[in-house]
Amino acid sequence: MKTEPTESEADDSNMIEVVFFKSDSCAFCPRAEEVIRETINDFGLDTFKLVIINVSENPEAAEEYGIFALPTVMIGGVSITGIPEPEMLMKMVLGAKVMTKKKGES
Amino acid sequence: MSDYTIERVKTGIPGLDELIEGGFPKGDTILIAGKAGTGKSILATQFIYKGVTEYNEPGVFVTLEESPILIKRNMLRFGMDLEKLEKEGKISIVDLSPSKEATPATIGEYPSFDLSGLQAIIMNHIKKINATRVVLDTLSIMAYKFRSRDILREEFFRLAANITRTGCTLLITSEIPAQETGLGVFDIEAFLASGVIVLYNEKISDTSRSRSIEVLKLRGSKHSSRIHSMRITDEGIRVWPGEISPGS
Ligand SMILES: Nc1ncnc2c1ncn2[C@@H]1O[C@H](COP(=O)(O)OP(=O)(O)OP(=O)(O)O)[C@@H](O)[C@H]1O
Ligand SMILES: [Mg+2]
Repeated sequence: MKTEPTESEADDSNMIEVVFFKSDSCAFCPRAEEVIRETINDFGLDTFKLVIINVSENPEAAEEYGIFALPTVMIGGVSITGIPEPEMLMKMVLGAKVMTKKKGES
Repeated sequence: MSDYTIERVKTGIPGLDELIEGGFPKGDTILIAGKAGTGKSILATQFIYKGVTEYNEPGVFVTLEESPILIKRNMLRFGMDLEKLEKEGKISIVDLSPSKEATPATIGEYPSFDLSGLQAIIMNHIKKINATRVVLDTLSIMAYKFRSRDILREEFFRLAANITRTGCTLLITSEIPAQETGLGVFDIEAFLASGVIVLYNEKISDTSRSRSIEVLKLRGSKHSSRIHSMRITDEGIRVWPGEISPGS
């Protein structure tokens, strides 16, 4: 998959992967990306790995995940479509954190 | 009458071309509407299959509902081997059905999105196989995937325009809910398309039903204004142009 890994290249086994789908033509995508970056920053960068997928360049990825609508942000097995509210993102992130913790314990 | 004739795309449905001056106008959006089980998916799939086998026109079938495995299995009953055409690169079956495992569960939707993802996926396949036929089966499922109807309505127009701009003829199926009289759940289905075909499977007695087909509208065409008999045979869908449906 062709992606643009940002923020951190370091050991990411315990990091939460945030996948952001955008496109060249999508008018709401820049704002959504801003909100996501801000939210991630508030949590602390070392917790997250932000993967940005530009569907205009990589339509196969959108097909693989069945992503029709943009912007869409995916964390774990769940997603939000449209410009997300920070509180909603937080909820998603916390849910994902609980999941990774459980995975680590077992 | 002018000398100018609209280029036609053969439907691949025996008997149907005769009702519509030889085929769908090339590059148009055609809506195939009907209640559950009336044969919309079979007709649309046949359009793609015969497009290749009879007219050498590659096609993209986008399934939003049934899984490709089931579609292939069902069409084999009619002797239509989609798998073979897919391997030969003549058709693409784009799986956007809910059966897909990798698809995340949507937990939030804000009314600030577009369908440029779906568009990019479809355009990619059109380019890959040089398709001139595209099917979207079915539009109705979008009503369950998304809440923002106004955005969807607007985006459907954009999507259809962008697909047909490439020269492709686009067939969109729409399920008419059981008690409805319109053409689908979005109320704009009729406006979205320059052609509308309606399929019926009406009860004609206590013990039998009869299938039929009606060309409700087709821009730029002098089409039949009657309801014609249609059957699902061992070779797929067939229309009897000379036969008027007993139910009508
Ligand atoms: N091999 C066959 N021979 C005759 N009739 C068949 C055959 N296979 C399917 N059918 C008929 O076709 C119907 C299904 O057609 P199709 O899937 O195209 O309907 P549809 O309009 O797409 O329905 P839905 O709205 O549920 O998607 C079946 O309900 C059955 O009546
Ligand atoms: Mg169907």
